[in-house]
Amino acid sequence: MAITTDTPTDERASATDEGQTPRKQRRSAANVWFGVIAWVVGIAFFFPVFWMVLTSFKTEADAYTPTPKLFFQPTLEQYEGVFSSGLGPYIANSVAATVLSTIFVLLLGVPAAFALSLRPVKKTSDVLFFFISTKMLPVVAAIVPIYVVVNQIGMLDNIWTLIILYTGMNLPIAVWMMRSFFLEVPGELLEQASIDGAPLWRTLREIVLPIISPGIFATALICVIFAWNEFFFAVNLTAANAGTVPVFLVGFITSEGLYWAQLSAAATIAALPVVLAGWVAQNKLVQGLSFGAVK
Amino acid sequence: MIDRAEGWRRRAPLLPALVFTIIVTQIPFILTLFYSLQSWNLVRPGSQEFVWFANYVDVFTDSQFRQVAINTVVMTLGSVLIAVVLGLLLALLLNRQFVGRGVVRTLLITPFLITPVAAALLWRTVLLDPTLGLVNFVLSPFGASGTEWISQFPLASVMAALVWQWTPFMMLLLLAGLQSQPSDQLEAARVDGASAWSVFRELTLPHLRRFIELGVVLGTIYLVNTFDTVYMMTQGGPGVASANLPFYIYQRAFLGFDIGQSAAMGVVVVIITLIAASFALRLLFRSFSGEEELT
Amino acid sequence: MAEVVFDEASRIYTPGAKPAVDRLSLTVADGDLVVLVGPSGSGKSTALRMLAGLEPIDAGSVRINGRDVVDVQPKDRDIAMVFQNYALYPSKTVAENMAFPLKMRGMEKEERGRRVRQAAEMLGLTEYLDRKPKALSGGQRQRVAMGRAIVREPQVFLMDEPLSNLDAKMRVQTRAQIAEMQNRLAVSTVYVTHDQVEAMTMGDKVAVLADGKLQQYATPPELYDRPANAFVAGFIGSPAMNLLELPRSSSGVTLGGIEIPLTREVTDAAGSRDKLTVGIRPEDWVLESTDADAASVVKAVVDVVEELGSESYLYAHLAEDTATTIVVRGPGRVKVRFGDPIAVRPTAEALHVFDVESGERLD
Repeated sequence: MAITTDTPTDERASATDEGQTPRKQRRSAANVWFGVIAWVVGIAFFFPVFWMVLTSFKTEADAYTPTPKLFFQPTLEQYEGVFSSGLGPYIANSVAATVLSTIFVLLLGVPAAFALSLRPVKKTSDVLFFFISTKMLPVVAAIVPIYVVVNQIGMLDNIWTLIILYTGMNLPIAVWMMRSFFLEVPGELLEQASIDGAPLWRTLREIVLPIISPGIFATALICVIFAWNEFFFAVNLTAANAGTVPVFLVGFITSEGLYWAQLSAAATIAALPVVLAGWVAQNKLVQGLSFGAVK
Repeated sequence: MIDRAEGWRRRAPLLPALVFTIIVTQIPFILTLFYSLQSWNLVRPGSQEFVWFANYVDVFTDSQFRQVAINTVVMTLGSVLIAVVLGLLLALLLNRQFVGRGVVRTLLITPFLITPVAAALLWRTVLLDPTLGLVNFVLSPFGASGTEWISQFPLASVMAALVWQWTPFMMLLLLAGLQSQPSDQLEAARVDGASAWSVFRELTLPHLRRFIELGVVLGTIYLVNTFDTVYMMTQGGPGVASANLPFYIYQRAFLGFDIGQSAAMGVVVVIITLIAASFALRLLFRSFSGEEELT
Repeated sequence: MAEVVFDEASRIYTPGAKPAVDRLSLTVADGDLVVLVGPSGSGKSTALRMLAGLEPIDAGSVRINGRDVVDVQPKDRDIAMVFQNYALYPSKTVAENMAFPLKMRGMEKEERGRRVRQAAEMLGLTEYLDRKPKALSGGQRQRVAMGRAIVREPQVFLMDEPLSNLDAKMRVQTRAQIAEMQNRLAVSTVYVTHDQVEAMTMGDKVAVLADGKLQQYATPPELYDRPANAFVAGFIGSPAMNLLELPRSSSGVTLGGIEIPLTREVTDAAGSRDKLTVGIRPEDWVLESTDADAASVVKAVVDVVEELGSESYLYAHLAEDTATTIVVRGPGRVKVRFGDPIAVRPTAEALHVFDVESGERLD
């Protein structure tokens, strides 16, 4: 249970330094051991995912053995099977729901975040409090009326229903997160722009947006992750027409519950886009999930 | 100083997002309140009538509801606390220098990114299957083979999957906390001759307190809404042994079609959440306004 | 070219509270460089920002070339500002940064390019025109910010601590450059700093502010020789003037057992006050031999010696009154050390005398 503050150069220096003191040797030896432990834990956490991907390249016979098989003849037949069982439209629905809701979140959220940061409105903290409080209320308490209303206006099993709900679900997070990026823009820049005579929209487009675009990109990725993984609304409000990939997976387990290899292929496809997005955005992930409270 | 016109110019960018959020998130709750006072079953058309608080009486005399409420607390707080402790240990590991640290971090966060539905499938089949699952295979030398994890320990199984998914988030959050600790503090402590353990206890842990609180609050917000994992792994069974409130309300609404009852449960959940949230929000807002300590 | 006038200008953040800038009145003559100097919280930056239009003017007025600018937008005041952190647009190159204010005014591309090249040449930035601010050193960034102000050819330059982010050597160098350039362009300039050396070396006139109020507005020599009050006396000069609260005697004041005579003007102005604040600059002490006549010298004991090479500063406490400390300038290679006794005598004609309560100069 030790903490060190060594910088990488420190550590490398102590490893290559010929006149090492015993103390230094012990410290770097300890770090090697911590490194080994970290690797073991990391691999243990990752192993189920690795096994899922591995299984997806097996035949059902290889997947279904009492002694798990590490070596086998890989095959793509499970992926073919998944696509031939009609995954395509579900992917299309997921993409539509994810991309469109994220676009709407940005269209609504960027101006809102601006109005709550650089040129703040009165009662800014009340509005922020309201946004965050919507995430405190359990979704499950709203699902009944949402179902009833959506049913009455004939929007059940319609992708637009999900798009609107996902926009509402992600907007508060995005506003909080983007606000924290806006706040990092130095006030001097805006003052300089006002002296230079730039109108507001040009200041935003030419000066502020280039600065915060990495933050907006990270916000978008996090909205993508949430929307793609969402299941509760999808399973309750959609069916064959507007179902998303998680809904497809559910149908899969009830009909094909015993076919592990094919199931793994389906799960891999379902998880892949978000895993990639998450890897890219990992530095900003916490910022998104904690409403920008941690940078 | 800000005149009326300027006030509206500032407010304008905020209004679309605000109005949208109010419509999508608040109106359903008002409707929930309204429905909860009615007896209304979707499979009996025309059954809608006003019954005042009869649904609430039913909810509070429903012994299953009590069991489910307890499950929810155990599942949510148990998973959050275990994830925070494991996340802290992992963050301390990852805060050291070792070869391939970035890769290990990427491996570690992957479980968090896996679509929860796919993750639940993975746990139910590949990991916890009594005859072919990896867990029993690994444990077989210790004589534990054949354990039917999901039917014997349903709540624990669900929690295992949740902890696997949420430990990475806690790890990232606490790692951000560790890395925000000024290194001169740690250096000063080392110069003062503090042992690694006392540095951790006297400096690092107090510094991390905010981050740990934030992790508990955010984990609770997100995990109290858990639905996918219960739905995919156990369907709340056997009986209601592993059902939580979201799943139970879903059952009442979409399998029992009892709108009034499930709305009343929703209201009860909101009230309980509001009580917990008023405490949590205060914690959270303190964290957000104390941003200088978090950055 | 322009004259800038602050006329009883005030900035009140919260009604009823102490104003950040309290009825400031001063005139910047055409082509002058005026420095606003003061400790943090003195209102100097706020005053500059009122002139820029970045802070509202709650009472009084500010005029540029006779035009009241209270209700004029910053962009229409025909000013250019250099910020403490330079406020360079990170997404734009050096050339684009410098051209931006011209572009916003709808100037033609060719004319923009000509002016930017000209300014870049003057500032030695020609080879960096295509770089982004990120790729520049602190000094280069500072010059880009200057360049962006110059190309505007404004009526007034405003500079808010433009040197505070540079290292010591760079600061001295840039200080001279700015003063030289301002002389050449002859554009009225208002310059804010907390550094009294910058104020004294650069300003045609210096305005000393404290607590939102103007303490004195004068040329540097005048500030040094005739500080208007005890605050200015203590603020201008380094090491600071010795300010001692001394009891009156028949024809002057007493210090460490000796009598220091005061001029006729001072004694007249002092009237019947029985105590006076007397200011003596470190260089206005004469070091005497320690066995000099006890009635004409003040005996003190050295605490610290600062050797600067060409001169030295002796920090000492009085032998008779150990709570009173003084700073004395001595020659370089001074022989005294910690604990040594010294004997000093103030130069009578160089004394500054202030009222104990109000701090106002008496004479």
